[in-house]
Amino acid sequence: MRYVSAVIDISGLVKTFGPTRALDGLDLRVEAGQVHGFLGPNGSGKSTTIRVLLGLLRPDAGTARLLGGDPWADAPALHRRLAYVPGDVSLWPNLSGGEIIDLLGRARGGLDGPRRAELIDRFELDPTKKGRSYSKGNRQKVALVAALSSDVELLLLDEPTSGLDPLMERVFNQVVAAERDRGRTVLLSSHILSEVESLCDHVSIIRAGKLVESGTLADLRHLTRTLINVESDSPPRQLAEVPGVHEVQVTGRLLTAQVDATAMGEVLGILAGSGVRSFTATPPTLEELFLRHYDGTS
Amino acid sequence: MTAVLGADLGRGSGPLTGVGLAFRRALRADRWFWLIWVLVLWSFIPATATAYRSTISDDAAGREVAAGLAANPTMRAMLGPPYDLLHVGGFTMWRVGGFVAMISGVMAVLGVIRATRAEEEAGRTELLRSAAIGRHALLAGAVGLGLAASGVLGLLIAASAVGLGTPVAGSLCMALGIALTAAVFVGVGAVTAQLSASARTARGVGLSVVGAAYLLRAVADGSGTSVRWLGWLSPVEWAPLARPYAAERWWVLLLPLVVAAGLIALAFSLEARRDHGAGLRAARPGPARGGEAFDSADALAWRLARPGMIGWGVGLIAFAVVMGSLADVFETVADSPELAERFRRMGAGAADLRLAFFVAMLGILVVLVAIWALQLVEHIRKEEESGRAEAVLATATSRPRYLGAHVIPAVVVPTLVLAAIGVLLPLQSGIATKDVGLIGRVLGGALALAPGVWLVLGVAVAVHGLAPQLALLPWVVVGWSLVVNWIGGVLGFSESLLKTTPFGLLPRLPAEPMAWTPVIVESVVAGLLIAAGFWGYQRRDVG
Repeated sequence: MRYVSAVIDISGLVKTFGPTRALDGLDLRVEAGQVHGFLGPNGSGKSTTIRVLLGLLRPDAGTARLLGGDPWADAPALHRRLAYVPGDVSLWPNLSGGEIIDLLGRARGGLDGPRRAELIDRFELDPTKKGRSYSKGNRQKVALVAALSSDVELLLLDEPTSGLDPLMERVFNQVVAAERDRGRTVLLSSHILSEVESLCDHVSIIRAGKLVESGTLADLRHLTRTLINVESDSPPRQLAEVPGVHEVQVTGRLLTAQVDATAMGEVLGILAGSGVRSFTATPPTLEELFLRHYDGTS
Repeated sequence: MTAVLGADLGRGSGPLTGVGLAFRRALRADRWFWLIWVLVLWSFIPATATAYRSTISDDAAGREVAAGLAANPTMRAMLGPPYDLLHVGGFTMWRVGGFVAMISGVMAVLGVIRATRAEEEAGRTELLRSAAIGRHALLAGAVGLGLAASGVLGLLIAASAVGLGTPVAGSLCMALGIALTAAVFVGVGAVTAQLSASARTARGVGLSVVGAAYLLRAVADGSGTSVRWLGWLSPVEWAPLARPYAAERWWVLLLPLVVAAGLIALAFSLEARRDHGAGLRAARPGPARGGEAFDSADALAWRLARPGMIGWGVGLIAFAVVMGSLADVFETVADSPELAERFRRMGAGAADLRLAFFVAMLGILVVLVAIWALQLVEHIRKEEESGRAEAVLATATSRPRYLGAHVIPAVVVPTLVLAAIGVLLPLQSGIATKDVGLIGRVLGGALALAPGVWLVLGVAVAVHGLAPQLALLPWVVVGWSLVVNWIGGVLGFSESLLKTTPFGLLPRLPAEPMAWTPVIVESVVAGLLIAAGFWGYQRRDVG
C-alpha cells in the first residue's frame, strides 16, 4: 500500500486545557513504514498528541491528518486501520483478560486468532484472570496483545513498555521489529531512550508541546559531540584551539575531549602525529541528546 | 539485635495499631459525605415537628384527621403503626422517625464501604497497610467514624426534639433508636465490605439488606395482626417498636445494641480470615475467550449493566408484588372532607383507598426506577473517568454508537420494569376482586409517570454531553423527587413546591383524569435533552 501523503501529518497543532498549553504549535510527520520514536519528558504533550490523533481531543488550532483522513471527523473508519495501546491501561474489573482482548479486537473490526494465541504465549499472559487482579505489567500485556493481534496499518503505542520486566521488554522489541519488517507504521512514544534507540529509525523530540528535533538517528547524531579518550606519550594540548573541540582535559598521558562532528577530521589529523597508543570514541547516546534538549540551557 | 527488634515490636504492634490515624484519615476524606447526610437526615425531625400544628389542628377537626391517618392502611404500610398522633413528639416519630432510621441505614452502609472496601479496591489502603498500621485499624477507623456520625445524628435529634418542647424521655428514646439503627447498619456495611473484592457488590448487598428490612416491616404493619411479629425481625422497625413518646419500651433498644455489636465483631473476624484486596471467596478465573456476541460497545454496556439490572429489577418487582399483596384487604370508606383532602395530597385524590394506595406506591416506586436508570447512564461517566471509554473509542466505535450503547438500555429496561410494576402492583387485588380492568388502569398510571424517568435521563445525558462537570445535577433532581414524593405531602409543602419534580406535573392515574399535555411536553423535552447530549458528546473532548 502506498500513501501519497504521510501516515501522520501534523502541523501547527495547538491544544489548551484551561490555562495549560499542552500543545503549542506542534509539527510531526511520520511516513509509511517508519518506526517513529516520539520522545519527550513527562508532560511534554506526547499523550495529548496521540489523543488528538485518535479523535478523542479536538485541537484548538492547526491541522492533523491521519492515514489520509481527518482524525476527528473520520474516527471510526480510521480506527479500523490502527491499534492503540494507552500509557496507563485501565481494565474492566469483572472481565477476564481474554474477554477484553476479544472485545477490543472485534470492536476494531476483527482479530487474528492464531496471532492472538501466539502473542498470549510469547508474553506469558494468563487470559483467564479478571481485570482487577492483573498487575500493572500484566494490564499492559493485555492491551499489547489486543492491539498487536489486529491486522492494522498503524500502531499508536503510548509508552508501551512501562511496567514490563526486561524479559518482556525484549519480547516486545522482537514483536515490534517483526511488525516493522511486515511494513507496519509505528508511532512509539517514550521517555525510555534505549527502547527508542534500538527500535526506531526516525525520532521526533518534543518539549513543552513543540517539536524541537526530528530526523533519523544518524541525522540527530550529526548535531552532537563525540567523546574521545586518547592515551599518548605526549597528549596534543593544541586540540583545545581547534574550533568545535570542547572540554579538553589532560591528566598525565590521558586526554579526553568532546568533539563536534564537523571537527572530527581535523582532530584525527592532529592525533595521527602525536604517538597515540590507544583511542576510543563514544558516540552520543540518546540520553545525552535528550539531556541537552531538556536541561533548559541549550 | 533480637532484643532490639523485640523491643521495637513490643511497642504498639497489635491489630488495632494506628486506629486513631485511620479514623482521622477517613474523617478527612469523607467529612462532607457524613456532614451532609447527618444534617439532611436530622433536618426532617425539626421540620416535621414545627409543621405539626399546620397538619393536625388543636380541635375536633384535628382529632378527626389524626384518627383518619391512623386508620389509613396506606400510611400504616408506608410508615408503620401510629401510637400517638395527638402530640408533636408521637406524630413526628411516626411521620419521619422510622423513615430517618431507615435512611440512616443507607448512610451507614454507603459510608462504611466508602472508607473500607472502596479504598481497598482502588489500591489506596495498600500503602497505608505497609505503614505501622494494624490489620484491623482501617476497618476500626471506618466503623468508629460511622458510629460517631450515628451518635452525632442522635445528639442533634435529641437536642432539637427537647428544644421544640417534646418530652425528654420520648426525645431520648427516638434519638437513641435512630442512632442505634444507624449503628446496626454500620455493622451491616462493615460485614458486606468483607464479602467481595468489589465495592459495588458490597454496596448492592448492603442496600438490599436495608430494602429487605423496609419491605419486611411494611408487610408486618400493612397486613393486619397475623404477621405483626415479622416487624421484630426488621432492624428499621426497632426504633418505632421502642415506642418513643408512647410509654417508652427502653428494653427494645437492647436489640439494635446487641445486633450492632455482633455484626461489628463478625466483620472483624471475617477480615482476619481474608487476604488484603480479596473477598472471602478466592477470585474465580474467567473465560479465556470472549463469547461470540461479545464484540461491541453495546455488548460491553449490557455486560456492565447486567449485575445492577438483576439486583434492581428483582428488588423493584419484589417490592411491587409484596406491596400489591397488602392492597386486597383495603375497603372503600366514606371520608370526611378533611380526610379526603389529606388523601388527595397523599394519593392524588382517590376516594377509593385501594386506588389511593396504588397511586402512592407508584409515586415512590417511580423515583426508585429513576435512580436505577440514572445509575445505568452513570456507567458512561465512570468509564470515561477510568480511561476505559478511551480504549473503546479508539476502536471503530463512533461517539453516538458508544453513548447510545449505554443510553438505550437505560431508557428501555427501566421503562419495561415500570410497566411490570404497573401490572404486578394491582395483580393480586384485581384477581381477588375479579376486577381485571383495575390492572389496566394502574398500568396506565405507571406508564403516565414514565416521561418523568425519561426527563431525569435526559438531564443526565445532556449533562454528560454538554457539561460533564455538572454530573451531580441529575442526582440532585432525583434526591429532591425522593424527598417530595416520600414526605413532601404531609410535611406541608405547598402545592406549587410539590410540582417541582419531574413527576409532579404528570397526571396521577387512575386517581386523576389523563392529562396529555404534561405527558407529551415532558416526553418531548426529555427527547430534546437526550438529543442535545448526543450533539454535545460528538463535539467535546473525551478523557
